[in-house]
Amino acid sequence: MLVRFFAHLKDVTGCDAAEISVAMPVDVDALWELLVRQHPALAGHRATARVARNWEYADTSTRFAEGDEVALIPPVSGG
Amino acid sequence: MKIEIQLTHLPIVAGLAAALNGGQGAVVEFSGMVRGEEQGKVISALEYEAYPEMAEYQIRRLLEALASRHGCLAARVVHRLGIVPVGQLAIYLGVAARHRAEGIAFLAEFMDRLKQDVPIWKRRALAIPPPLPQQDWALKILAIVPRKALSLDAAMSEIQSHTAPLPGVRRPLADCVGHILREDVIATGDWPAFDCSTRDGYAVRVDDPGPEYQVVDTIHAAGWKPRQLQLGEAVRVATGAAMPCRGLRVVMQEQVERRGDRVHCVTMEEARNIRLQGEETKAGETLLAPGNRLHAGALALLATAGCARPLVSPRLRVAHFTIGDELVAPDQTPGPGQIRDSNSMLVRGLLQGFPHELEQARLPEDLPAAGIALASSQVGSADVILISGGASVGDKDFTRELLERLGFEIRFAQVNVRPGKPLIFGVQGARAAFGLPGNPLAHWVCFHFAVATVLARLTGASGPRFWPGRMAVRLEDEPVPRETLWPARLEISDGAWLIRPLPWASSGDVTCLAEADVLLRKPANTGTLEAGLAVEFLPADARLARLFK
Repeated sequence: MLVRFFAHLKDVTGCDAAEISVAMPVDVDALWELLVRQHPALAGHRATARVARNWEYADTSTRFAEGDEVALIPPVSGG
Repeated sequence: MKIEIQLTHLPIVAGLAAALNGGQGAVVEFSGMVRGEEQGKVISALEYEAYPEMAEYQIRRLLEALASRHGCLAARVVHRLGIVPVGQLAIYLGVAARHRAEGIAFLAEFMDRLKQDVPIWKRRALAIPPPLPQQDWALKILAIVPRKALSLDAAMSEIQSHTAPLPGVRRPLADCVGHILREDVIATGDWPAFDCSTRDGYAVRVDDPGPEYQVVDTIHAAGWKPRQLQLGEAVRVATGAAMPCRGLRVVMQEQVERRGDRVHCVTMEEARNIRLQGEETKAGETLLAPGNRLHAGALALLATAGCARPLVSPRLRVAHFTIGDELVAPDQTPGPGQIRDSNSMLVRGLLQGFPHELEQARLPEDLPAAGIALASSQVGSADVILISGGASVGDKDFTRELLERLGFEIRFAQVNVRPGKPLIFGVQGARAAFGLPGNPLAHWVCFHFAVATVLARLTGASGPRFWPGRMAVRLEDEPVPRETLWPARLEISDGAWLIRPLPWASSGDVTCLAEADVLLRKPANTGTLEAGLAVEFLPADARLARLFK
């Protein structure tokens, strides 16, 4: 499963995406743990960045599985 | 509700007219502009980034949700991405509603929600770079740039002499399509590697008159059964099978009668029906020389030779910047005084003959400082930098200043050719840069005689050159003091290349480009060219150019 990074999270991780493998669907907490394991610097952004799954913001009931389009969305500032 | 959403790197054309159907009683619009100050600092531009697929999806959902509450008829949202100079629009929102209260509520709520949920970010603010030391700058230009325009031939040879092939790289053969070979490919063994049969039949000694043979073995296509054949012996062989030893020929199976393990040859033919070992190439022979473009057939040859990672030209990294605030994207409707940007697409297409990676971006013309900041950050490791000027006055100076700022040494800034005279060429180490005149036809002309020369040179291929042909028809034209590269079509008749010029009136013409496949060279100070006259032409397609090698 590919997790895309945007805006300053690209600077934090030094890349624009991370490949995460999950054997079975995981919730948002588990996803964060997997991401922080790969990119420890992300830990400090967990409180502010939201997670999107297939263009929708995730909540505690969301499950992430192989094939999903996942992205970390730091606070937006468009307009 | 009618919805239009655009995320664009080009200036926003505000307006909602296209979406209106007459039912509206109010049109409410909001234009968000980049301010000259960000967090207390003076800036020249902001850079926006988006997660475009999600942003568009979220905007659409938001518009639909608001429409169901506020009952609006149409909405158009355009958000600019990339570098947006101070004073330009970053966002436009237009709402058509039956009554003003609905429209105003819709607009206010949309903007609030956009700033919470739509994945678009202000990525960074660009500061205003320090001004150039003016005096120094003027001296440099006077010293280097020839004051007179170069001739076409002089410009092409200037380009040749200031560029050199980039170092070759080894790539997997499957990724080498269109690359230029940069080493000799040597046959490491004979091909075919062994004598093999070209027929289904019976292998016998060439000195055996027959006609009776004892069949002593059978060899299939992939079989390998060496043995010395005696007189009177035959081996059953399939097409492509390796012969058991040298000095044999194959009697076709149609020419024998077989009874048990004996065959009787009915008719004896001269043909040996054998591809001899080393018949096609011998070990040590050069199969393909450097400078060849690896097309399908060449790739097949390299595969046969076991050359799985040939040394080839690298993919060219090309950065292309367009300047011109009059330009809008092809999917936008130009406002008064605006035109659609065709050059970005033209350059993309022209580069197809050369394996490359292309970065395209737009530079704000009215704010040179922001443009220079952007170009410096995007030019990265590009081998070739192309800058397409706008049609407006002053872009040439901007291009020249930009190239100087990026560290390029300007070699020439004018070529005596029509169209395309204001062509700038600069070099910096192994890199080359062009400032191309913005009009599409001029762009196309400059690409073929100048940019293609650099691209060929960097890859190690032979550059574009002129070929002889004849005028298919009479071309009426006034004598002009410059050479003309005239868009034309190439035809063949009775074995001769005929050139049929296409009509054009201005360097802004683009219609003729759809049909043109060569550039006719019309000498300076000559008027009408008669049908049948011997002329020269430049192929306008890398694949077409191969025909004339």
